Amino acid sequence: MAKTGMDRLNELKKEIFKCIHCKACRFAYSGEPSRKGIGEFKGKQGTVLYEGMVDSCPAGIEYGWEAFWNAGKIWIARSILTGDLEFSEEVRDVILPCITCGQCSAQCENKIPTVDIIESLRAACVESGIPLIDKHALVDRLVKERNNPYGGQAAERLKWAKDAGLGKFVNNKDAKIAYYVGCTASYRQVEVAIATAKLFEQLGMNFTLVEDEVCCGSPFFRIGEVNTAQELMKKNLEAFKNVKKVYFSCAGCYRTFTIDYPKWMAEGEKLPFTTQHAFELVAKLIQDGKIKFKPNADLKGKVVTYHDPCHTGRHFAVDMEQEMIKESKNLMFDSRKIKQKIDEWFEIPRVILKKLEEDVGIVFKEMYRIKLNSMCCGAGGGVRAGYPDFSIRTASLRCDEANAVGADILTTECPFCWRNLTDANDQYNHGMTVMGVLQMITEYDLLDIQQKPTEADLLGKK
Amino acid sequence: MSYKAPDEKDLEAMIGIVGKNYATNNKAITASYLAKSVMGLESQIPDIVVRPKYTEEIRKILIYCSAEKIAVSPISGGLSGGFACPTIKPAGVLLDLGRMDRILEIDEANRYAIIEPGVTNGGLWAYMEKYHPDWAPPIADGAPPAATVMGDAIDRGFSLYTSSVGPQGDNFMCAEIVFPNGDVVRTGSWALPFAKPFYKFGIGPDMWSFLMGSQGALGVVTKAAVKIYPHPKHKTVVAWGMSNPYDMQNLTLEVGHQEFGISHNTVMVQGGNYPLVMTRWPKDKVPHDYEFFKEIGIPEWWMNWECWAQTQEELDYVIKRINSMAEDFKKNRAQDGAAMKPWELHPKQIASRMKKPNKIAVPYSFWDAGFLFITWYTPWNECAEFAEMYNAEMEKRDIPPVMWIASIERCRQAICMPIICFDSTKDEDFEKVQDLNAVTTEYSLKRGWLNYRPDPFIHIQAYYQAGMYWKYLRAFKKLVDPNMIMHPGRLALP
Repeated sequence: MAKTGMDRLNELKKEIFKCIHCKACRFAYSGEPSRKGIGEFKGKQGTVLYEGMVDSCPAGIEYGWEAFWNAGKIWIARSILTGDLEFSEEVRDVILPCITCGQCSAQCENKIPTVDIIESLRAACVESGIPLIDKHALVDRLVKERNNPYGGQAAERLKWAKDAGLGKFVNNKDAKIAYYVGCTASYRQVEVAIATAKLFEQLGMNFTLVEDEVCCGSPFFRIGEVNTAQELMKKNLEAFKNVKKVYFSCAGCYRTFTIDYPKWMAEGEKLPFTTQHAFELVAKLIQDGKIKFKPNADLKGKVVTYHDPCHTGRHFAVDMEQEMIKESKNLMFDSRKIKQKIDEWFEIPRVILKKLEEDVGIVFKEMYRIKLNSMCCGAGGGVRAGYPDFSIRTASLRCDEANAVGADILTTECPFCWRNLTDANDQYNHGMTVMGVLQMITEYDLLDIQQKPTEADLLGKK
Repeated sequence: MSYKAPDEKDLEAMIGIVGKNYATNNKAITASYLAKSVMGLESQIPDIVVRPKYTEEIRKILIYCSAEKIAVSPISGGLSGGFACPTIKPAGVLLDLGRMDRILEIDEANRYAIIEPGVTNGGLWAYMEKYHPDWAPPIADGAPPAATVMGDAIDRGFSLYTSSVGPQGDNFMCAEIVFPNGDVVRTGSWALPFAKPFYKFGIGPDMWSFLMGSQGALGVVTKAAVKIYPHPKHKTVVAWGMSNPYDMQNLTLEVGHQEFGISHNTVMVQGGNYPLVMTRWPKDKVPHDYEFFKEIGIPEWWMNWECWAQTQEELDYVIKRINSMAEDFKKNRAQDGAAMKPWELHPKQIASRMKKPNKIAVPYSFWDAGFLFITWYTPWNECAEFAEMYNAEMEKRDIPPVMWIASIERCRQAICMPIICFDSTKDEDFEKVQDLNAVTTEYSLKRGWLNYRPDPFIHIQAYYQAGMYWKYLRAFKKLVDPNMIMHPGRLALP
């Protein structure tokens, strides 16, 4: 039987009670007060000192009250469990403007799974009968009617593929591999979908685009509407049941399939396929010497920086850590292995960017807050839909950080981050180009295949 | 004493003072200020939270609350350190001073920094690293980076230089304090309108010291001048391991007794026992037997001397002196000399110990689900007895015997901190911890030991034993807080 939000919250009770309210969770680099940075930078959203630890909880920065920083929310969860507080619209309005970026979780010395707690708290809030805010109710209605939160016609979900001459991949029955496109790339950032599919085509991958694909459910897991999310999950599991592997170009969809689905599936059930983000495949092919990039005069000398999407970066890292902790018999010994695995995980997109630097001539420059300490783009957790002004201000803060290192191009690997960063870049005149890494590879025709990937490369298990 | 529970009209008054964005009785927001851990288990949800920015706002709030007889509890930026005494009964108004986070002045020549109460350890550290790299503030070691500098002072805490220069309260030169009677008092040399904060005792007597340990029960400190110290490049950690707390205590005292020279170079002198390491991991994910820790090179008890020096030559001399004194102690005076040996630390271990501020004191919830620091001051040469007594009481209750001890002012005092790791989801564990606290408090008070940040219920006996002192403390409070609104319950007041 599917779990309720309250079930999850009770399962997490011991984790919730671990919080000592130390508030390290409000900072990036909370354990590195002497970390050398780039000094003060006056950006569009004010001046930030990029040295040592930096306030990095978007909701805390925006609203200021203790309740909006992570520790406050954990104590709200505790108050709900102890009966000191009941769900109400006041509670909802405090727990919803959180991007669930997981910065807090990454900083926590007691390894509290904060994102899981906040999402469960939201789910329990919805179950208690507290209505969704209007903007979330709208996307919930749209997804129930049309299987996507944007209100796009179901029949037009794969229009981009047909328009781009990729129609042969639609419902390709022979393929063992599927590309799950996601709603944002299908209806909004079609550049990302086209770039990814063309890259797969260039690599000789026999893949399918599944017409019955529906929203992955990510926004609904995040805002606590888990019934809707679980319905979508069931539809996708049915639609993709005949493939062995599913590739993603969206960080949120990838996270949802890989981390959320197993958590919300019935006890004992497993995903019938393996999952991987397209950038993992590209990085692996670079490391194996099977692809490299062509030089490009337009890109040569351009300063390129990379924004780690929370969903592919920190959320996976924290999930890996939690799993390894569960399995460990002696954590004192295993903690180094965990750290190493997380470091390797964050290096994957950097393998591609460093290769672009080497072959194409871009200048790859990291922002101050990166990897586990990366600052969120502001789009996730239902915030872009529910609190658009706050969401864009957060994206602008991130753009400030990219400006601080003189970036010409701000790259990322998530269409949702791409959208939010683009909007902030335009709205606040940050003066950069925002694009996906794979999009850059495809649009500038950079791919130089040395050796076609084998089936093992493409189907390789994570 | 009875207090008024603030209502909508009182909230309106607060909004009138600080603006609508900075005062609320929103139930979710007020609940988020709970903190039943680390420093106490009695936290209550406040009725109203106010986030002032300026001294004048605080003055108006206190005047209003005093007239209405509404309890007020101030907290600075960090909830678990600092003014870290969350609201207790009766709840009333919580003043969250986190917005008052300005670093107002750094004066290298006169060696002070002027800060507001919301300035965090991490914030001040990063700022000085960037703009005044040759100087360092006396931030709390082990307290989380989000804890505040001011909070640590007002709790009579422990900081980076405490082992060398004395209690954290002594690192504060001058302060600006708002009392509920509406007065804004400037202490030390600041009592004179144009004076720099260069002399703590000012025109005398020293009123600032009266605020030390006040836990927010007398007034609100809105500004303070804190000493800054040189931040030399030559640093290391010398450590010795031993089998018992007595050898740790006595060797450390011999080094501290030097008073000059190496005693001043040893800025942080702190030690403990192996469960300090063990309980940083989940209890089912780490061996409990000492044999395992012995095998990986962790002594049963140890003492660290963090040494700072202006030159390598000076640092080498300090290391040599400590080691030779330890060798001599081991040979001639130790209870268990055979077990004593230098603890050869890996450079990474040294770097980790020297990192400031750090999160060393944070992960003790990882063991189970919650922890509590119950901290005491003893004369240095009684700290081993304290450790032995406390550890035995913890073990009786199946609580791991975790003990951290540090020297204050070259072993004039010891700050002894048992870390009580327990499952805070269970009522029976709460009762077990309270029983432990009660029994050990009774013993400790009989020995004349003092509580650091006394809890408003169990440790209250200390004030009753100090009857005459408490009479004058109460009289002073009456003077500055005539309606006794500041943090009722703390310091056994009202």
